[in-house]
Amino acid sequence: MQMPEPSQAIMNQREALAVALRQIVGQEWVISDEAERRPYQCDGITAYMAMPLLVVLPGSAAEVQQILRFCHERGVKVVPRGSGTSLSGGALPLEDGILLVTSRLCNVLEVDAPNRVARVQPGVPNIKISEAVQHLGLCYMPDPSSQLISTIGGNVAENAGGVHCLKYGVTANHILGLEAVLMTGEIIRLGGAYLGAAEGEMDLMGVLTGSEGLLAMVTEIAVRLEPVPEVARVISMSFPSVEEACACVGAIVGAGIIPAGLEFMDRKVLDAVSVLIRETFDSNTAALLLCELDGTAVEVDALVDVVSDVARNQGAIETKVSTTEEERQRIWSSRKLAFSAIGKLCPDYYCTDGTIPRNKLPEVLNKMADMSVKYGLDYANCFHAGDGNLHPIIMYDAAKPGDLEKAEAFGADVLIACVDAGGVLSGEHGVGVEKRDLMTHQFTDIDLNQQQMVKCAFDPAELLNPGKVFPTACRCAEFGRMHVRNGAIRFPDIPRF
Amino acid sequence: MTQTETVCLRPASTQDVADIVMDAAAAGQTLAVTGNGTRSGFGNPVKADRTLALGGLDQIAFYDPEDLVIRTGVGLTLDELEHMLAAKGQYLPFEPPRYTGLYGTDAQRSTVGGAVATALSGPRRILSGAVRDFVLGVEGVNGQGDVFKAGGRTMKNVTGYDLSKLVTGACGTLAVLTSVTLKVLPAPRAELTLVLPARTLEDDRALFEKIRALPLGVGGLARRVGADGRCEVIIRVEGTAPGVAGNHQVLEALLPTPPRVLEQEESQALWREIRELSCLTPKADELVWRVNLPATAMPAFVDEARRAGCINRFFVDWAGGVVFSTMRGVQPEVDVLRYRKMAEKIGARSMILRAPDAIRSQFGAFPPVAAGVAALEQRTRTAFDPAGIFNPGRMTVQA
Ligand SMILES: Cc1cc2nc3c(=O)[nH]c(=O)nc-3n(C[C@H](O)[C@H](O)[C@H](O)COP(=O)(O)OP(=O)(O)OC[C@H]3O[C@@H](n4cnc5c(N)ncnc54)[C@H](O)[C@@H]3O)c2cc1C
Repeated sequence: MQMPEPSQAIMNQREALAVALRQIVGQEWVISDEAERRPYQCDGITAYMAMPLLVVLPGSAAEVQQILRFCHERGVKVVPRGSGTSLSGGALPLEDGILLVTSRLCNVLEVDAPNRVARVQPGVPNIKISEAVQHLGLCYMPDPSSQLISTIGGNVAENAGGVHCLKYGVTANHILGLEAVLMTGEIIRLGGAYLGAAEGEMDLMGVLTGSEGLLAMVTEIAVRLEPVPEVARVISMSFPSVEEACACVGAIVGAGIIPAGLEFMDRKVLDAVSVLIRETFDSNTAALLLCELDGTAVEVDALVDVVSDVARNQGAIETKVSTTEEERQRIWSSRKLAFSAIGKLCPDYYCTDGTIPRNKLPEVLNKMADMSVKYGLDYANCFHAGDGNLHPIIMYDAAKPGDLEKAEAFGADVLIACVDAGGVLSGEHGVGVEKRDLMTHQFTDIDLNQQQMVKCAFDPAELLNPGKVFPTACRCAEFGRMHVRNGAIRFPDIPRF
Repeated sequence: MTQTETVCLRPASTQDVADIVMDAAAAGQTLAVTGNGTRSGFGNPVKADRTLALGGLDQIAFYDPEDLVIRTGVGLTLDELEHMLAAKGQYLPFEPPRYTGLYGTDAQRSTVGGAVATALSGPRRILSGAVRDFVLGVEGVNGQGDVFKAGGRTMKNVTGYDLSKLVTGACGTLAVLTSVTLKVLPAPRAELTLVLPARTLEDDRALFEKIRALPLGVGGLARRVGADGRCEVIIRVEGTAPGVAGNHQVLEALLPTPPRVLEQEESQALWREIRELSCLTPKADELVWRVNLPATAMPAFVDEARRAGCINRFFVDWAGGVVFSTMRGVQPEVDVLRYRKMAEKIGARSMILRAPDAIRSQFGAFPPVAAGVAALEQRTRTAFDPAGIFNPGRMTVQA
């Protein structure tokens, strides 16, 4: 993975920068010692590592403001970081940049139950919001599997999804207001702490959400709270073939039902988890769907009947419906343990998150089988079927020379197949460094230029999280003065990282 | 409006649009970007050299009901789109209002592009989300005549910046949208509406809060003056038939008085009226406002504004989170500023939905934003449209 060439001049100033930053955040909140910086070398993708110049932990938005202003003046790069669970390398440090970590900005500032909003700091772990409002019968809906650890700031930066986003939407649909600090140190406030607070203003909040820390450092978030659904029931449906399971996904949606969650697991995943949950799956089962339905008891009972009928019509071998909360948890445990179960089968695995139109599922899954043969690597499938968000788990052994490269190439082929099927490179993990160089497959140069122009509006010095998302630097100074004609590349001479 | 006097260009393809924009950019001419112009009265008046009318871009690229997605040219009318979706039992959950009653234009001609560009959402906003939540992707032409696309057609997508959201609600000031990809949903199988006499604003707001605290899928909570002149509270329940029946019972137990029950068509007709603000029946010289605010602040705000003479008639939607009102056109220069100040004091967002051109030009139809945000918005505009040729002044007040 090629990153922008680090600046030796900046790296030489490390000690002086540490002294100056300590004056802002206090002695103990700048980590300079190499051993203490080591845990920050990577995020959720351990294949990419870099030692950050310094790790800085601000305690307030005012401190963030001072840090960014200082770094802007000195030309020092900044990489924002929440809990470092990103699966695309978005929080990968830069050797000539500071890592700005939100762990100390971890307070739920206000719960406004009547208006159904909570104001929180970016370092609050996702689950803490729901915990803080549980006693009111409310929750924060988006629930990435990493919700115990991943921060709401990181969720905003990645526009995280979750099992329940099929029905309830992703992070962007639940953010009502943001406070953010631009690289210059300027604080901006968008939207506010009530539904509709952003009406009539340009949707800068929309573009900040999912911008992977490239546009501004988010320092406060107003999130929408929802009442916890009265009941949830899950139906487990087993199918003799992957095709039939995929067809059932379309048929459920086609029947006018939007389940709270609709997950797919293939036979390999089932075999892996059956050891852990001490349950066996019918030998004719090639794929399993888990369909969660929630709402009021009457509503859910009605939907359970419809979905069960659909499943039978689509050739399900067996359907099991949870009748108690305990049963529901047990049925879900197979899905929850899927990734760790696969982890026990192989030394390493690699998982991407390309997303496709639902009706292209069989086509792309078949292509994956061919790729597996081509690369000689095994794989398994466990993914958010309802929204076509694939999570192929490619198994490899990092100790074997060339295996990682093969896994990466396999993953890239899957992503390209997703784009070719009318889909996108990333449904929820973001582009980061992982998918950066594939962006040109999904977007034309004009599309990418337009996105990078927006970067220039926010951070013309390109100091905030550079080297991520886009395969080339922005060259903000030159933008706006150039014209493209008939799709000609604007800067054919720009070196790719 | 000077638009009727200017040359009107009617492109039939994205390439036409790109050519027109390139020519305009080269000639240093500005463009008023419109669909069929049914909502030219929304936002600030635009003075431009030419008008670009996109109603001809009405081709549907695809509609995939099983995948809940449609991609269409921006010129397709909302009526046609909703008709087509209804045939498959689907709908646009954000319930786009036309507001053509306010502007004296033809509701049937309101376009999809206009709905996305103005980002106006209807009563179901409290349950299902806003326009922005359903725009999956766009194709557009920037101020240099480059055709770009953003987003995609999948429900989930975090690949690159979400420019689709950025252009949604930008009123054509960033780019000329040529096609949009929308997420659609299965329409609820059953709906019914409960109507009961209103009490005080605070009582009604508290009732809304109580209802919203329960997971009943209530997609409409409004309070308005009914046909007989009396105030009423209106509650919409949607879902499966058994679900709606069950929620109906739960709701009735919460209500202070037994409600009148409207089913299916009758319920739909009532919510269309609410969506279109029909009950405001503004007089020709009255201004029409929309104020978004925390529901808890609504009763005091309305009382104060009425006492100050800034609200003449009003009604409340979004469970108390939005106040639509009329303002007498007697001394608008004074009242506009007073009303805005009242809103600003409580962090509310005030938008003029209808007013004479001169008023909107002077004060701006959109809520004022902080200087830093305004500057960032301007830089963002420049990023799309460096010479500022699209809809100049539509969202900003020229000094
Ligand atoms: C086991 C596991 C399961 C996961 N499941 C899901 C899932 O179901 N759905 C899903 O969407 N993702 C999932 N993820 C991915 C990851 O958890 C999410 O992307 C999450 O949002 C990252 O949050 P974080 O706090 O760890 O952010 P980090 O990894 O620290 O940072 C992520 C990105 O956000 C930026 N950033 C962080 N904080 C800020 C801030 N305050 N302001 C500006 N930029 C900031 C960083 O620069 C970086 O680009 C999973 C990851 C793991 C390890």
